Amino acid sequence: MELKIPITLVSRYDVSRLLRELNSLDDFFAGAKSRPAGTALPAPRPSNLLNQLVSDNQVNLLEEAQRQQLKARLEGLLKTAPQLRISFSSEPPAKVLEQILSWMRQNIHPTLLLQVGLQPNVAAGFMLRTPNKWFDMSLRPRLQKEQPYLIELIAGATGGQ
Amino acid sequence: MNTGGLVLVVGSLLSATAAFVWLALRLNGAPSGKKANGPQEALVDSAKEDVEHIFNDEFREELRNRGRLHFEKIIGENAMFLQQDLRQTTSQLNDYMRAEITRTLQEEFKKYEQSIADAKQLALGSIEKTIDTIEQQRQYLEQQLKTQSEEQKKHILKQFEGQMANIINHYILHAIGNQIDLSDQLEYILAELEANKQAIVEDIQRGA
Repeated sequence: MELKIPITLVSRYDVSRLLRELNSLDDFFAGAKSRPAGTALPAPRPSNLLNQLVSDNQVNLLEEAQRQQLKARLEGLLKTAPQLRISFSSEPPAKVLEQILSWMRQNIHPTLLLQVGLQPNVAAGFMLRTPNKWFDMSLRPRLQKEQPYLIELIAGATGGQ
Repeated sequence: MNTGGLVLVVGSLLSATAAFVWLALRLNGAPSGKKANGPQEALVDSAKEDVEHIFNDEFREELRNRGRLHFEKIIGENAMFLQQDLRQTTSQLNDYMRAEITRTLQEEFKKYEQSIADAKQLALGSIEKTIDTIEQQRQYLEQQLKTQSEEQKKHILKQFEGQMANIINHYILHAIGNQIDLSDQLEYILAELEANKQAIVEDIQRGA
């Protein structure tokens, strides 16, 4: 059964964080078994992302086998999921990022992960780094494409001098 | 006074001197011995005595004085003439020298003027040549400057056109910064992704 990845799971760091949470749950359950009777043990609070993942994949975290399976899937995801680096001029709003990621998972790869970065030289648009290529989808290439028209505009503005 | 006059004066002086010398010699050299060699001789002696009586020492002294005075007078006159002639000659010589010097000086001045005129002409020619050379250099430099300016202009334009996208991008970035909301760009972002979808998929499939 394929792992359903929530849209809020964006990057490899998120996957690593989920694995750490699962490990802490494992530690908690191991500690609960060996604790003296009547001793209170604070349970770790799962994050929203983990809750979402568990809910989407119908995993019972109380079951160790399911937890281990989930961990294995996440580790597999960490190894196999393609990762792209996307750079904007500023920190993108979560909603925008979700929409972009959603589109990518639907059109490019279902387990795709993103690493979001900043590129201050990008006035508008973004830059995308795939394993072997660098896609400049900022304003710069568009302006380069429109160079003859820009020259025409400048020539018109300066009276053809 | 001309040369003839001068010769005449000198001649008269010489003749007067010769006459005076002769007279003196005659007076001093007359024989005084008596010879009684007949009546003729006696007559001669008598005549001689008479002569000696007439031309006695006083008379001779008188003659000498007169001769001396005459000679002095002639010498004085001739000296005056000589002085006049000398003065006239000196004057003529001065005139001649002045004329000669003036003529020579004029000739020299003419030569000098000619030399100056030649030098001036030469200098003018040299200056004109220098001006021509400078003008040629100026035109060459002007042409070179113009060419370089055109080349520089073309180079700058080429650079500007080559970097135009970067310049405008930089300008936009500077002008609006991060004020363009990414939410507003979403449509553009998705359109760009759609346009490059195939290349992205292929690159992911190819792997690292």
